[in-house]
Amino acid sequence: MMAIRRNLLISISIIALLLAACGAPQSQTPTAAPAPTSAPTSAPAPTTAPSGAVVSATPGLNIDMILLPKFLGIAVFDQAHEGAKEAHAELRNQGKLIFTGPTAENSVAGQIETLTNAATQGVKAVMLSNNAGDQIAAAAQAAQAAGVTVVTWDSPIPSAQGETVFVAQVDFNETGRVMADMALSILGPEGGEFAILSASPDAANQNAWIAAMKEVLKEPKYANLKLVDIVYGNDQSEESYKQALALVDKHPNLKLIMAPTTVGIAAAAKAMTDEGLCDRVKVSGLGLPAEMASYTLSGCAPQFALWSFKDLGYLTYHLTYLIASGALKGVEGERFTAGRMGTYTIEKDPTRPKGLRVLMGPFTVYTAENVNK
Amino acid sequence: MGANLRRLVSWEGFLLGILVLVIIVNTSRAPAYLSLTNQINLFQLSIEKIIVALVMTFVIINGEIDLSVASVMGLAACMIAVLFESGVPLPLAILAALIAGVCCGAFNGLWVAYVGLPSLAVTLAGMIGYRGVARILIEDRSIGGFPAWFTALGQQPLLGPFPLSLILFAVLFALAIIILQFSGIGRIIYVIGNNAAVARYSGIDTPRLKLGVFVASGLIAAMAGVLLAARLGAVRGNTAEGFELDIITMVLLGGVSIFGGVGNLVGVGLAILVILNLRNGMSLLNVTGNVQTGVIGVLLILSVLLPNLVQMARERLQRRTTQRKEVQVETETSASS
Repeated sequence: MMAIRRNLLISISIIALLLAACGAPQSQTPTAAPAPTSAPTSAPAPTTAPSGAVVSATPGLNIDMILLPKFLGIAVFDQAHEGAKEAHAELRNQGKLIFTGPTAENSVAGQIETLTNAATQGVKAVMLSNNAGDQIAAAAQAAQAAGVTVVTWDSPIPSAQGETVFVAQVDFNETGRVMADMALSILGPEGGEFAILSASPDAANQNAWIAAMKEVLKEPKYANLKLVDIVYGNDQSEESYKQALALVDKHPNLKLIMAPTTVGIAAAAKAMTDEGLCDRVKVSGLGLPAEMASYTLSGCAPQFALWSFKDLGYLTYHLTYLIASGALKGVEGERFTAGRMGTYTIEKDPTRPKGLRVLMGPFTVYTAENVNK
Repeated sequence: MGANLRRLVSWEGFLLGILVLVIIVNTSRAPAYLSLTNQINLFQLSIEKIIVALVMTFVIINGEIDLSVASVMGLAACMIAVLFESGVPLPLAILAALIAGVCCGAFNGLWVAYVGLPSLAVTLAGMIGYRGVARILIEDRSIGGFPAWFTALGQQPLLGPFPLSLILFAVLFALAIIILQFSGIGRIIYVIGNNAAVARYSGIDTPRLKLGVFVASGLIAAMAGVLLAARLGAVRGNTAEGFELDIITMVLLGGVSIFGGVGNLVGVGLAILVILNLRNGMSLLNVTGNVQTGVIGVLLILSVLLPNLVQMARERLQRRTTQRKEVQVETETSASS
């Protein structure tokens, strides 16, 4: 009897162990922007003067599509789904829009499984935010061979094998320009001193953005903006908060803290608000509207930027619908209309030798006008 | 033993019932389910796991556990990738990966069999250690671009519609059944799992056999890692990460006791079919990964708790009957005096 009860206890602990292990997500955070661009990019944000054939969608077709995120339970992927649903309704697609994804710890195998079964089910297109690197290429190629359109968004297939086009959210160079423009707009033409509060010293994204911003600052337009310091808050709220206050002490003429990280910008805005420094030092950078709204309305962080995942889902849906319906072939140089977002061009991806991309851009710059919308 | 046998027979019946139910639901809900392509995909998507599940059955029936299998798979995959990248011919790289698998298994086995450390601890260390070596080898990179013959072996049909790994699985399954259920070695594995002391006093070379089982586990895991690399066509440091849990789940659901000595390959085969068909059906119906994990989790809970609960209830019932009999005897004796 005792032995059985003990066995039962051990069984339960083993199950608990297995389940606990199942629930621990280990994958990297999503929203990784594309790798640094080396080639110059003339960010073709929605252009207004389409020359040549601009393809637009025929509404009302019957195209089953799967929106496949890296994994489920991440807010920005739900926002992308919202955008895809908007486009789905707008194009009156008679088919289904399916939003499904693996769990975080089963991401690689789960994405491969969904892609493989998409072909079996007769789904016409899969929109993939790839979390499996090149390990998914074989499954993607097999799906394409079975007639499935594969478009990536948010995160591409590195070798570009198995993918028709990648929809990139923003361009690294553009990030630098957006930050410089916000600084100029906040400080005005007379300019002044500003400092950067970044994440960690070896965060690839942030470093590339800062490097791009330094490039842009060389232009005569920005001559009066003086970058006096770069500090790192390691994406920890408390550390970023302290670093922001230290910056103010160190540089008496500091007028602006630019934080290209959502953690840093919120911490800096809180620090300036708490210490009553908002009149002297403003805050800007890349932030989440939900976290930044109060600081933007109070004037402490008059402007900040982020790309819209809803728009990313919307644009990806339009492009995928066009390719799956045969209106676009998915080759370099094709131009198309994506509903409310305007006209885009399929171009070479400067970050991947064999890849094609559609660059979404631009950032959404949030001010007191639109931060609560 | 008799009770265990009955429980197992009924457990396999239970699994068969679930399998039939899953197949009926899948067939009626997902039109593509019965197609040959899908039936082969269904195995292919998990083929490396089910190959390792066969040898894991040996390990667990032997009264041990091997948590390091997925790390050995990852290490083998990383080894062939790194060696191939540095110019070693692929067949040699594959051989090196298989030898590495044998070494990993032997390392686990030596500590468990000859030093007497618990396999849970030893293979947990192996799980972390071998994965660590894999990550050191490949760093934060992804290596692909294998020769076409290699990726074709992993992705294309070899014999009729069947790919190499599926044929390998069928052969290994047959071989495993012969060894475990019909050979002397198989019987000894059960005896050791049931009672290691009895086995030792019966003159069985327990350590040597345990070592052999762990070496087999390492070798088969490395082979599965090579197959996985061929199927995916690219390898990263996290290749096969977390697979050990799915593999152990299949074996436990198959009615194999985590304490050793009980279970058989027919049950494991049925459990594999249940899990694969259930996953495939849910995936074809676009059930999200969260729900899929939940359903498999509930199945696992039932598989481990149900037999234990039934046995507890049975024993309690038995004890109550004996107590009542004793009370009756007492009252009878007091009445007669």
